[in-house]
Amino acid sequence: MRISEQAKQENRARILEKGAELFIAKGYEECTTRDIATAAGLAAGTLFNYFPSKETLAMTMVSEAFKMGREDFMRRRTGEEDLPEDLFLFIASGLRRLRPLRPFIGPVLERSLSPFPRKTVCPEGEAARQEHLDAVQEIIASHGFTQAPDYVAVTMYWSLYLGILAFWANDDSPNQEATQALVDYSIRMFVQVISGTGGVTGEANAD
Amino acid sequence: MQIDDGKTTDALQMKILLAALPKESATDPTGQQLAQLINRIANKKVPVNSFSRIWTLGSLQAKVTLGYFAYWLRSRFADADERQRLRSEAHLAAALQLFGTMGYMRGAVMKIGQLLANLPEVVPEEFAEVLSALHFEAPPMHFALVREVFLDEFGREPEEVFAFFDRQAFAAASLGQVHRARLKSGEEVAVKIQYPGIARTIKADLRNLRLLLQPLCLTEDWQNTLDKLADIERMLLMETDYDQEASFGKQARVLFTDADRVVVPRVYDEYSTKRVLTTEYLRGCHLDDFLAGNPSQEERDHFTTLLTVATFRLYYRLHWFLADPHPGNFIFMEDGRLGMIDFGCTRAMTDEEWLLICKLERANLERDEACLNRVIAKACLFDDPEEMEPERLEILRSGLNWNMEPWLKDGLFDFGEREFFMRGIESFMEMTRKRYTRGSPLYLWSNRFIFGGRAVCYRLKGRCEFRKIHQQESAACLHPAPEQ
Repeated sequence: MRISEQAKQENRARILEKGAELFIAKGYEECTTRDIATAAGLAAGTLFNYFPSKETLAMTMVSEAFKMGREDFMRRRTGEEDLPEDLFLFIASGLRRLRPLRPFIGPVLERSLSPFPRKTVCPEGEAARQEHLDAVQEIIASHGFTQAPDYVAVTMYWSLYLGILAFWANDDSPNQEATQALVDYSIRMFVQVISGTGGVTGEANAD
Repeated sequence: MQIDDGKTTDALQMKILLAALPKESATDPTGQQLAQLINRIANKKVPVNSFSRIWTLGSLQAKVTLGYFAYWLRSRFADADERQRLRSEAHLAAALQLFGTMGYMRGAVMKIGQLLANLPEVVPEEFAEVLSALHFEAPPMHFALVREVFLDEFGREPEEVFAFFDRQAFAAASLGQVHRARLKSGEEVAVKIQYPGIARTIKADLRNLRLLLQPLCLTEDWQNTLDKLADIERMLLMETDYDQEASFGKQARVLFTDADRVVVPRVYDEYSTKRVLTTEYLRGCHLDDFLAGNPSQEERDHFTTLLTVATFRLYYRLHWFLADPHPGNFIFMEDGRLGMIDFGCTRAMTDEEWLLICKLERANLERDEACLNRVIAKACLFDDPEEMEPERLEILRSGLNWNMEPWLKDGLFDFGEREFFMRGIESFMEMTRKRYTRGSPLYLWSNRFIFGGRAVCYRLKGRCEFRKIHQQESAACLHPAPEQ
């Protein structure tokens, strides 16, 4: 049976919505694609037309949150921010969008964003990583850095960011305020590393 | 990375360090031993938390501070036997390393070092006494961090909550910073925002501080020191609750009428939470700027009178000590009113504490020697004045006499008189030097209240009819002191 594009979009949105509900209620590991399909009022096999695996489904939620976070960041940015403040705003905006997924996000990030070698790389995870790093690169470039950070700096950034995500997923302080302090500290450290001076404008690195 | 000739720098640093460190005439006349201990500790790397990232133990200033600490801590177990002293020395070295991990209290700890360096003849015998007198500061927040706090507290951005919000803070607060803003209804306000996670840092600092002071555990007043540290922690943590501060502010505000010329800013509840406090913005200046305008004696006296009325009123009506009467908490308003802006560090007395303090006041005013001695003994945690060393009693009485001097004098009292102010400081110093500081933790705050308040009036070079104000304000006391 052929269904309309609109119905497809509705199905997709419903799967994502029910999936998030069930992941929160039952936990990511315990929840099956069959549970989600049933909750969304679809046949078990139909779900796979939209998402080839549970991992892809969950990581799609994360990617969409990241995307909304980037949009929030662009909207919230005033142009008066220095580099550490800009990066802080970027990361904080993303974390805020991820917040509804926090109860089950640990295993999802572990599967999809793990930096260790794996047999199968999660394409959604890899795409999310690339988009995030591109955005960071743009932010850095907008502060007077004419060269892109090399692989060491990028790896360092990504390690810090994964560390922040892991800490945030476990952070039981009110509103994850301990994470806010950690982000502040991590970013200042990273900016110091790439500036070589501790300066925040990047002028020293401009040609 | 900075590369320098390690040897030259070390030798030079050691030389400067030696010159700056205190000397023990008997055991370490050159200060060499102390300098080596400090250098050994300072060269060990200690992981710091995010608050202390600016702090390094490697700096000479930090080393000297550490030196004064070590000197001071060591002097506490100088009389112990050899074995015990060695054990204490090892413990001291380990404990001093923790010094570098202080985050929130880093600034305060550095200031203690400066204080000791400026007054080398003074060895403060009670760390807590000094600590309670210092002002703390949280690290600055950039605007993006402020916005996150707003989203968490109000679910909206500062610009959405307010008609105008200044990105730049205009003042540092003990736990965060203050921004100017304007409500949509037009009122100018001051918005105080707390640094995320500061309560946790305070707890960690106090835990480290207890370990730092562990070498003192064999001294007789150790339990009392712990009690005082617990009181400091309780007060600092209470300051992290802006709901509590808002409540203090509201209670204080209703005590003053237009005729009093004292203003406590209005709290805007709908723009305040546990971590954000929005109050009316008071136009005026702080003490330094006021003095820079070279005010007349009449203006100085005017504000000294207002300060005295304001503090007495809170004291008698609410049984409060404004335990942080530093100059930044008072606004000298253009129209001649006095603004009181910070109630975070307010110590409310229990009924028991209040009754004891009333007894003390009455015995003093009526010059009832026997009763006075009994109350002093009780406040210092003795059952009876007979149990106290005569010298202890005498020193405490002389401190009390200084405190009560303005209460007994008719007419204008001159708080700007240097001789009077110095006498109070000396009497307090003698008490700490002789280690006669045992007492209820309440007196940490009352001392801070009296010395802080008098220091402000001293700098103002102001006079007021203190006794008359006291009589007026005490007449309106909520609970008069009971009969004997």
